[in-house]
Amino acid sequence: MEKYYEKELLEELHDIQETYGFISEEDILRISEKRDIPKAHLYGVISFYSMFHLKPTGKYIIKVCDSVSCSLNHSADIVKVIKEHLGIGENETTRDKKFSLEVVECLGHCDEGPVMIINDTYYTHLTTNKVVQILDNLD
Amino acid sequence: MKVKINNKEYEFQEELSILDAVKKAHIIIPTLCYSEKLKPFGSCRLCSVEIKGERTLKPACVTKISNGMEIYTHSEKVRKVRSTIMELIIASHGISCNLNCLTCSKSASCEIKVIAEEIGIMEVRVPPISSRVPEDRSSYSIVREPQKCIVCDRCVRKCAEVQSVNILTIANRGPDTYVTTFLDKGMGNVDCVNCGQCVIECPTGALHEVYQTDQVWNVISDNSKYVIVQTAPAVRVAIAEEFGAEPGRIVTKQLVTGLRLLGFDKVFDTNFSADLTIMEEASEFLERFKNGGKLPLFTSCSPGWIKFIEHNYPEFLDNLSTCKSPQQMFGAIAKTYYADKIGIPREDMIVVSIMPCTAKKYERVRPEMKGDVDYVLTTRELAKMFKLAGIDLLNLPSEEYDEPLGITTGAAAIFGATGGVMEAALRTAYEVITGKTLERLDFESVRGIEGIKEAVIEIDGLKLNVAVVNGLGNARKMLDMIKNGEKDYHFIEFMACPGGCIGGGGQPIPTTKEILSKRMKAIYEIDKSFEIRKSHENPAIQALYKEFLGEPLSEKSHELLHTTYIARS
Repeated sequence: MEKYYEKELLEELHDIQETYGFISEEDILRISEKRDIPKAHLYGVISFYSMFHLKPTGKYIIKVCDSVSCSLNHSADIVKVIKEHLGIGENETTRDKKFSLEVVECLGHCDEGPVMIINDTYYTHLTTNKVVQILDNLD
Repeated sequence: MKVKINNKEYEFQEELSILDAVKKAHIIIPTLCYSEKLKPFGSCRLCSVEIKGERTLKPACVTKISNGMEIYTHSEKVRKVRSTIMELIIASHGISCNLNCLTCSKSASCEIKVIAEEIGIMEVRVPPISSRVPEDRSSYSIVREPQKCIVCDRCVRKCAEVQSVNILTIANRGPDTYVTTFLDKGMGNVDCVNCGQCVIECPTGALHEVYQTDQVWNVISDNSKYVIVQTAPAVRVAIAEEFGAEPGRIVTKQLVTGLRLLGFDKVFDTNFSADLTIMEEASEFLERFKNGGKLPLFTSCSPGWIKFIEHNYPEFLDNLSTCKSPQQMFGAIAKTYYADKIGIPREDMIVVSIMPCTAKKYERVRPEMKGDVDYVLTTRELAKMFKLAGIDLLNLPSEEYDEPLGITTGAAAIFGATGGVMEAALRTAYEVITGKTLERLDFESVRGIEGIKEAVIEIDGLKLNVAVVNGLGNARKMLDMIKNGEKDYHFIEFMACPGGCIGGGGQPIPTTKEILSKRMKAIYEIDKSFEIRKSHENPAIQALYKEFLGEPLSEKSHELLHTTYIARS
């Protein structure tokens, strides 16, 4: 794929993701035209990275780790309680566009699991009660 | 360069990959993601070999040989690892009783089956995983069944590297990796040109044509319908392969007999309308040439090529010949001239095409074509029908096509190979321009399998610059050269598939370079076997113009035989 103009493609995608919260179809078509990269190929790149979103997300993106350590510490219960509390499923957004929920791979705090990250803030040693409190305290 | 393979010494001059070197030593290593026409990818790991002094096994397809290298292709360690990899591939392919191999589109040509036997798989220790990605039935030509996909990337690379169409990609990662189109829109909703090269490339049954055999069985048995069939030039030199014959076996007359046995009311030939295409297209070229019309003229027989130019180079649409393809011309003439001639109401006539092509299935439904053709079957689908009807194609007696739409020439026969349309057009153009008889009919300079061929043809002091292009990657190169002013021609033949229609997406699998050249040789043999080898000398075509059309480019011709194009970008 060396013939295409791929230099700093990821940086451009990050900029769009940070500014708008997601990368729209129009964004992809524009980049495809500008960089002469096939749009199918761009879709492949974007879908490879879990931090890029193709649909609008909520104000707060909740990412719960389900890698080995967190999983052993019952991260599945954390996911379940968030789903119930917010009334959304995985990769969905609440109707008021406040919260989106994702289940992700290791967040690098394996000794403090279960762990989640909301936007840029880490929350460790989670319990089901603690999670509900954290969510309720965000505005 | 000295290399030891399985303790035996070999010497190689070039820096080959281990896989190529091992091939020269007549040792077979199983491969899945490797394909001779594509850049090596190294993802399936089946070709892993042991190299002395290396800690891990190395994939032979992406590792180069070096001086003094000692390679073990089938050591115990290699056999064990290869077998485990194969088990994982089988499990990821979801092979289980739910996914019955016997009902798969590739039941007779599955590469996984062959490799499982080569490796000697005795058990699969991992339970099968089924893909949750839904089937893609958005296209008129091609179906994708992701649960049979092993993500070898060959379709993606074929679409990108050979065809430069670039509609497929690999999305997600890890166990969720899958092959898809832009935003999962489906092949029918993106810039897919329906060429079917991905189908030819797929080692499993994940890609196949949209079947129409059921509908054809139904109309054949419907007595209220008059069902006629046309066969494309490239089918007769390839269908025998589906019955185990050597590539290049010509079965034209057995094909005719077989189609009559299936129950078609008349068996006709697309070669008839190929001759008609030449009459119209050669006239169109001469008219543009004399009157300063848009040149170079581009041929318009290949529907994959047409959709490619509509999506990617709309600025060149005026260069396209307005002639419909031979398939569509046949339907248009059959449902007017022929239906009236035999007194069958036009609406009771059903036209079925046998094509080497998946894009013809899409061409049929283009609104511009007004339903000239009702059903399109690929070479593979017809072979399935023959088998289902117990027809032993190779040993059938010979029969002739029906008249008049089965009367053809050698010029029409060569439409099936790259360069054929050009050569057939030149044979006619020469005689129309000069009024003299063409002595040497063979234009060797436009023959052969190369992607881009050029020639200067002298006709009565006129120098015609022509080019012949096959494969859409080459078409893109050619159009870019014309755009940049690097090249200029009078007339260019374009075919979407490598090798032309003989390498079409509906042809028997496998279609390798070697098989292509055998099919091509057969095409030119057919041409030689005809007494009449020029389209304008076809007596049935002459009668058609006399009785019905008048002359080439007449009002009636324009109404029935010509079409328009759409800018799709």
